[in-house]
Parts: sequence; structure tokens; C-alpha cells
Amino acid sequence: MDKIKLILTLITITITVVPIVGVLLTYQDNLVGLFVPPEINEIADKFSGGGDGGGSDGPQVEPVGPPEIDPVSGTIRQSIEFKNTFPIDITLKSMSGDVQCVEHGFDLGVASIEEPVSIPVGETRTVTLLINWTDGAEGHLKSLHATEENVEVTLVNVGVDISGIQIGLDQNAMDQRMEIPNPWYEG
Amino acid sequence: MNGLLAKINWFGFAGGVTTIIMIAVSMVYPWWQLTVGDNLLTANASPVNTTFGALGTSFAIPFIWALNVVSLLTLLASAVAMLIYSLVPGKSYSKHLLDFGYKKPLFIVLFFVIGLVATVLICQTVLSLSIPLMGSTTSTLSIPFVSGVSITVLLTAGFQWSFGVAVVGAALCIAARLYHKKVAAVPGV
Repeated sequence: MDKIKLILTLITITITVVPIVGVLLTYQDNLVGLFVPPEINEIADKFSGGGDGGGSDGPQVEPVGPPEIDPVSGTIRQSIEFKNTFPIDITLKSMSGDVQCVEHGFDLGVASIEEPVSIPVGETRTVTLLINWTDGAEGHLKSLHATEENVEVTLVNVGVDISGIQIGLDQNAMDQRMEIPNPWYEG
Repeated sequence: MNGLLAKINWFGFAGGVTTIIMIAVSMVYPWWQLTVGDNLLTANASPVNTTFGALGTSFAIPFIWALNVVSLLTLLASAVAMLIYSLVPGKSYSKHLLDFGYKKPLFIVLFFVIGLVATVLICQTVLSLSIPLMGSTTSTLSIPFVSGVSITVLLTAGFQWSFGVAVVGAALCIAARLYHKKVAAVPGV
């Protein structure tokens, strides 16, 4: 019976040692490769500029045409072309930010995208940005910008949800200025 | 015929069969799965097959693959030993087979859970990255040399049904050990 016990012990040792020694011998000239497979380097390459999207410089965002103003609600709609420069297909699930008057730093509105948009690698999709006025916006624009047809604004505290990754940009990290129409223009 | 069936250690037989099913299932379905964002990064872990996914690319880490092969062969040997033992529990060599086989599924389940908890704790300590063992959490990543930008990721993790199969298999093998005295005492065995 000791023979059975010995065989079972040998089996235990063999099935434990052989795979580990085998992989160590295979990677003896490249021990880093034991823990870092080539796929990880390929992924790193994609993000450092080798991908179809041209690297990880961040998405390219360009306003398209002038903003449209809804005469009833006063909501502003701005079309934006969003180019996916990431090396993977993405879904722009949400985007929000505070619209601030550049001259006075006053919060005029809240911007958000109309609906989520899926964008394949390297392609561009049009996204609609909606700007809803804050309660104090009318008073501010009437009293301090009544003679201006357009008001220069900037987006602050921007939050973007791309495929479940939430990117937050504070005031210092983003200086995206644009002009929006003033619904209370008295010109 | 009834006497023959009475000699079988059914817990051991069920444990051996369940262990074989567990091996097959674990090759395809991970015991534990972690998802970052909307499947941007995934980790599919089981003692017999651990793979990672990033940006649509699936890969395995060679050293972990070797450990997976060790676990697979260990479980296979355990299952075969349990099956042979369970059919002839009264033979002189059967106790050796039982001792060889019954603990291994339990140890593999325990090592897997301990390894998982240790990995999660190491990630929290070294990378300051909070990874849940079960459920969802958001974790904020710091970007060196960049100010004003924060990146928050949603991490979702959980044990899968295949882990339940493994726990059942381990429990049946332990039950076989506890049942052994009863079945070995059947007259004529």
C-alpha cells in the first residue's frame, strides 16, 4: 500500500512542478515575458499613437454652425462634431458642464448632450449639445448684456462619460470659449 | 445488486463527477469576473483558466497560465481518484485514494479566494485602486503631472455561478470523507 501512496505523492509533485518548470524554461531568456505578455505592449502602443485613431491625444471636438435658439423655452442647441481618436470604439454616454459668462464668471446655464452616441474608431459623429438657462441667467443677461447680440461663454466643470469612464475637467484644464445668442438682446 | 450499490460512496461519486463538471465549466465560465467601464478592461479568473481583456484584445499571463495548468491537473487527478475510490471504497488502497482526492477541490477553492483577496488588497495598497470583490464601485485614477483632470472608472465585480459549482464539488468531496466510515463498514466490503 505504500506503493500506492508513493505513486500518488509522485503524481502530486509531477503535476505541480512540471508546468511551472516548463514555463520557466520557455521564458528563461525573457523573464519579464512571464508576467507581461506581448498583448500588453500592443495595447500600450495603441495608446501611444500606433492605433487607427491616431493615438491618445483625446477626442477632437468642433462646433458645427451657429447655435440655434428655441424661442419658447430659450434652450440653445449646438451641434458638435466629435471625432473618436481613441484606439477603440466608444460610446459618448453623457457630457455635462456649466456655461459661464466669460466677462463676469456668472453661471448662465447647464450644458448636456441630447442623447448617447456610439462612435467607431477614427470616425466622426455629430452630437447635439443642449444649454438650459439657470434661474439667474435672464436677469444677468438683461442687466449686463442687454446690448450684446451674442455673449461669450466658457464651459467649466465639464464631465464626460465615455464608455463608462468618467473624465472630469475643472476650470483650469479646459478653456473652450464660444459665443451663444442672447435671447434677451434689446438691440 | 443492492449490496453492490450500498458499497458505493455516493458522496464521493457525486464529488468526482461534480469536480469533472467544474473543470469543464471553469474553462469557459470564470469563477470571478471584473469589468472596468463598459467592458474596456475585463478580468476573468478561475483556477483553471484566467484571462484578461483590454480594448477588445484577450490575453493570458504565462505564469498564471502555468498555475492554471497545475490547478487543472490537480483537480483532474482528484476527480479520478474520487471516482475510483467511490466505486470500491472498501479496498485496501481506497483510503489512500480518498485522502489524495478529497481535500484538493476545497484547497483550490480556498487558495483561489485567498489569492483574490490578496490581489485586491495589494491593488488597494500599491496602486490606490479600489477593486470590489463583489458589487460595483467607482475608483478615481490619478494622472501624474496633469492637474485639473480627474478620471473616474466604474468597476463591477462578482463571483459567477461556476464558483457555486466548485463550492458544491468541494463540499461533496468533504462529505465523502465523512461518509467513508459508514460505507467502509458495510458487511462484505
